[in-house]
Amino acid sequence: MRPLARMLAVTLVLLLAGGSVYVPPAPAADDVKIALVAPLSGRWARQGQLKKMGADMAIEEINAQGGIKALGGAKLVLREADAGDSVEKAVSAAQRVLTREKISAGIGSWLSSFTLGVTEVAERLQVPWLSLSYADSITERGFKYTFQTSPVSSLQAEQALELVTELAKKNNRPIKKAAIVGDNTAASMFFYKPLREKLLAAKGIELVVDDVWTPPLADATAIVQKLRSAQPDIVFYGATNFPDSIQVLQKVKEFGVKSPIQGVGAWLVTPEYVKTVGKETLDNIQTVVATHPMKGQEELVKKFVQRTGEPFMTQDPLCTYGHVWLIKEALEQAKSADPKAIRDALAKIDLQSGPAASSFYPPRIKFDERGRRIGAVPLIVQWQGGEPFTVVPTAVATRPLASHK
Amino acid sequence: MAELVQYVATGLLVGGVYALMSIGLALIFGVMRVVNFAQGDFMMLGMYLTYFYAISGRVDPLLGALLSIPPFFVLGWLVHRGILARVTGGDPARQHDAQLIVTLGLSLIITNATTMILTPTPRGIPTTYATQAFAVGPVLLNQARSYAFAMALVLAAAVYLFLTRTDVGKALRAAADDPEAAGYQGIDVRAMHALAFGAGIALVAAAGGLLATYYPIEPTVAGNFIVLMFVAVVLGGLGSIPGAFVGGLVIGLVQSLTLLVLPFQLQNTGVFIAFLLVLYLRPQGLFGRRLRAV
Repeated sequence: MRPLARMLAVTLVLLLAGGSVYVPPAPAADDVKIALVAPLSGRWARQGQLKKMGADMAIEEINAQGGIKALGGAKLVLREADAGDSVEKAVSAAQRVLTREKISAGIGSWLSSFTLGVTEVAERLQVPWLSLSYADSITERGFKYTFQTSPVSSLQAEQALELVTELAKKNNRPIKKAAIVGDNTAASMFFYKPLREKLLAAKGIELVVDDVWTPPLADATAIVQKLRSAQPDIVFYGATNFPDSIQVLQKVKEFGVKSPIQGVGAWLVTPEYVKTVGKETLDNIQTVVATHPMKGQEELVKKFVQRTGEPFMTQDPLCTYGHVWLIKEALEQAKSADPKAIRDALAKIDLQSGPAASSFYPPRIKFDERGRRIGAVPLIVQWQGGEPFTVVPTAVATRPLASHK
Repeated sequence: MAELVQYVATGLLVGGVYALMSIGLALIFGVMRVVNFAQGDFMMLGMYLTYFYAISGRVDPLLGALLSIPPFFVLGWLVHRGILARVTGGDPARQHDAQLIVTLGLSLIITNATTMILTPTPRGIPTTYATQAFAVGPVLLNQARSYAFAMALVLAAAVYLFLTRTDVGKALRAAADDPEAAGYQGIDVRAMHALAFGAGIALVAAAGGLLATYYPIEPTVAGNFIVLMFVAVVLGGLGSIPGAFVGGLVIGLVQSLTLLVLPFQLQNTGVFIAFLLVLYLRPQGLFGRRLRAV
């Protein structure tokens, strides 16, 4: 009886398991598959989740509007792959998703360090790749298949510094001392580098604190203590890992540090910050991002909030939403789902309206020979009353910039 | 001078929670000789339980940390009975491999199941004391970390008293020292193993609860602490409870004091240099007994 009972049990388990294994719906022959390689597990999983929300929303809209017209109404299908929490995992995820089936174009992988690895795979397999990552080096390697829609880190550093010095002058509190505090991930490092090497010195600003760590940060006391004693007029802040950033902000409040904080990246404006450190601590903290909902995008944001239950929309879903729409436009122009044809279409594209173009600032998508979006300008987003608003440039601002107390 | 005192105080406060995390791991290793890779994941689950106590029942996380002890003791007991008991005892060489694979697998399953069920969105328990400090002269002691430190001390003392003053505690130590002889004395070694595993899991869950008073909660939080836990246990002497406690404190202290001489990027370098030094000069760890020599 026992072997029989065991066999029955095994059969039952197999049947149950078989019934519950997720089998992705088989796409029709003419569906166009696009890959999203983003961290869906590990330390940066939240950002991957936000990116997927943006991609899903765009795909649903495109398919509901009749799919890719040039391809007889072909539908877009998303194939996501988990970039995990290391470059190695991100690279193998890209390798897997791009070799398993025919992928027309790809998007990813949020963290610049991951994007650097993933775009190498895409280049080798000749699949066009769209990225929101900031690091300058992403488009400095002569790659033909990589397209970067964000303004690069060094440019962001320049513009952020320009803005904060101008504001300080207006408020009659010129910046004399600055601090750099953050982790050593690629985008942050490219942001600090020009500040350290030339930009601060050119403006006669002294760098009084320069502390960079490898995530995770054990404790923020020492860093914030330095800020308290040096009292910089501005803190350039790049802590991409959420627990690290929370520790720093909690200490800033605890030690009563009043220096204005200028972040680099959209990680500083995710909804969970409000619940963890409270809106009072966040008030007036600003960050430079590649994109953020702008004036005129109220309907889009409303739709996103209704769909996802998120309290507001940020760079990660918006950028990915724009990327999917951009792939759609490239497919229409290429009239083919072939990756090489899409790459050529992207290299030639010049969009000045529509959902893709209006997801970025200025609303124009045209790439230079390196794959960088020509004229890309970062936005400044500021926390006000528990919500982040675009405050600069004023033409697309959703709120006026609030000055530091 | 004030700066040095601040660094020492910060290091000790950080080390207090490392110490409590490590005691559970040391208890499990000391009694069962099982290296539990899933220890950090049980800590993460402890953080979530404290979070849910705080959100749904408005229970203060310091109390929530204590309230997470009974359910996690039961969970640990069940995990031992259902899974670990099948790979402990018998041929030690083969069993060690199986134990490593089982606990590592358990860790992967817990992390990923939590990511799937609770989503990767980080959560936090808003407490007023996370951003407030006690001022002792020029030195600031973070309130959340001070409370967590005090509770870690109390819990560690309770474990120590339990092991040295009660019959069950003595039986537990006997089972750890010599399972065979303990068996001959009528001690149910398997029950002692389940007790040790349950207690070890309950302690790390409580440490998680204390951590949650100032640290964000996410499914992958274990990765930030598990290596330090192992270092603390080995530093103190494998399986020694006071050793693990001191090991945890030493790590916090070294992490903090390293910053006086090294840049932030090398914060953990100090810890590992101290670790290597201890292994070189005192291979059995600070409180370990020398069992074997080659």
